[in-house]
Amino acid sequence: MAVQATVSPADAVVNHKRRDYLPYMLVLPIIVYEAIFILIPILQQVVSSFTSDVIGIGTVRWVGLDNYNRLLADRNFWNSLRVTLAFMGGTVILSVGIGLLAALLLNQQFRGRSVARGIMTMPWAIPDLPAVMVFFWILNPNFGVINLFVRWILPIDQTPRWLLDINLALPLVIAIAAWKAFPFYGLVTLSVLQSIPHDLYEAAKVDGATPLQSFRYVTLPELIPTLMLMGILACIFAFRQFALIFLSTGGGPARTTETLVISVYKAAFNSFDFSYGATIGVAGFVVVFAITLLFAYLQRRQEALATS
Amino acid sequence: MSTLHNTLVHTEKRGIASPHHWTRRIPLYVLVILFCIVTAFPLYWMLVSVVQPISLSLQYPPPLFPQAFTLQPFVEIFTGQDTAQRIDVWIFNSAILASITTLICLFLSVLGAFALSGRRWRGQAGFGFILLMTQMLPEALIVIPLYATIDRLQMKDSLLTLALVDTAFVLPICIWILKNVFDTIPTEIRDAALVDGCTRLRMLWRIMLPIAAPGLVAVGVVAFFHAWNEYIFAASLITDRKLYTASVGLGSMISMIDTPIDKLMAGGLLFSIFPIIFYLLVQRYIVAGLSAGAVKG
Repeated sequence: MAVQATVSPADAVVNHKRRDYLPYMLVLPIIVYEAIFILIPILQQVVSSFTSDVIGIGTVRWVGLDNYNRLLADRNFWNSLRVTLAFMGGTVILSVGIGLLAALLLNQQFRGRSVARGIMTMPWAIPDLPAVMVFFWILNPNFGVINLFVRWILPIDQTPRWLLDINLALPLVIAIAAWKAFPFYGLVTLSVLQSIPHDLYEAAKVDGATPLQSFRYVTLPELIPTLMLMGILACIFAFRQFALIFLSTGGGPARTTETLVISVYKAAFNSFDFSYGATIGVAGFVVVFAITLLFAYLQRRQEALATS
Repeated sequence: MSTLHNTLVHTEKRGIASPHHWTRRIPLYVLVILFCIVTAFPLYWMLVSVVQPISLSLQYPPPLFPQAFTLQPFVEIFTGQDTAQRIDVWIFNSAILASITTLICLFLSVLGAFALSGRRWRGQAGFGFILLMTQMLPEALIVIPLYATIDRLQMKDSLLTLALVDTAFVLPICIWILKNVFDTIPTEIRDAALVDGCTRLRMLWRIMLPIAAPGLVAVGVVAFFHAWNEYIFAASLITDRKLYTASVGLGSMISMIDTPIDKLMAGGLLFSIFPIIFYLLVQRYIVAGLSAGAVKG
């Protein structure tokens, strides 16, 4: 705080009397840019949700709240919310959890640590598309190598149809998403772990703490703020997830993996019902806005704690 | 005494979990190896499916280690006459798209990061919140209005249009990463330049950008591979097969039953190899930037 309060001599020369316009000039192009590509489309979306605009059927007309009434009565919409929640919950717990374990593992000293770290980074670097491709192949009902592994472990003849199985599709998609996402949380957690002062562990040791106790009373308190923010971040990333779900299951089978974003896309590009798709989209904005506020709030609180 | 001291210092350096005998480390190694195998298996399997003849991949049980070696799939990718499935053309399109995105994004993120890293100004928090919102917004939620507008303006099927859209989504993260790098430049250096009569923009160009060069590379990598990987806008805004980016092209092949799996995997491997290499190189910057922008604000 003290650093910010100090006015450097050069700044004082520039800013002594008149207001400084430079930052505004700098961010203006960015604001205009984001307005064109993000803000205006959002407003268009909101306007569109009060109209009836089905490609190929007549003209666009105002329908008031009709789309919203339809939304609230739409079983598929409520289904997509449930799927979204399940997908979010599953991916967040799995990816942040595995990320934490990975970070604890990589925080140990052992030979080949940087190799292990490199291997762990790879799923994060690989694009969604090849990731889906290879899992599609591994989980192929006829030729997939998973059938081999499962028969090693379980005494079964008939293997399930994996991504085509109503009960397995969602857990599998969650697992794929977690495989891709955990390295990021692992790397962030690792950087926090490495910043914990060593003295704290020494002090705990002197006080006779077991490794488990020193994790519980030294490591965990330092990690919790980061874990919370990462949890919210993971929620948002999971909520955004499109390509991975769309390409691996297309929302099926029987809509068991149809999240909110998938249903927006399908309403527009499969049913050509642009205004209804827009209405589902507006519901999505509400969710995103709420999560972003929560994120900003926690971030502020953490900053306040850090500076106090 | 000094030996004891050395041992103590040594143990201290090696961390709390440092065991005294190698046998106590066996569980750790087992865990690490198991972990690496599970993490790397999908990538390994992709490689195996490419380098062994397809007949081996299609037998049951599939061999876990390649039994024969071929590079035929790669040859097919680059010599294929089937213009509807030219993976090499798609990858070339992705490279053009990603380069344009990188250029626009670098320019705008330098402006944004410079504004955020100097003295605080009124409205800075608001600007930060706008960036955060943009960063959080799912692409799929605004694909409909963007598609409708771009369709009306007849700007579909253009890699430039797609690059402009992709930039809008990756820009916030790039600004955070670069702001973080700018913040590490000592104020004394900036002030010295200003006192010497440099304007601030000149100081940015002549002093700060050269110092921040590695950060610029990191931002470039993030922007490049965002566009390289992006699927939903590419899939809705590009309908001309000749302009397909690799993500759309390969995506269209996943669901086709007659796609030879070795060729598909070879395309996927070619598509993944660049991001994997570059991410490993600039990983530290990206993690620091992401955790500063996203986790710390």
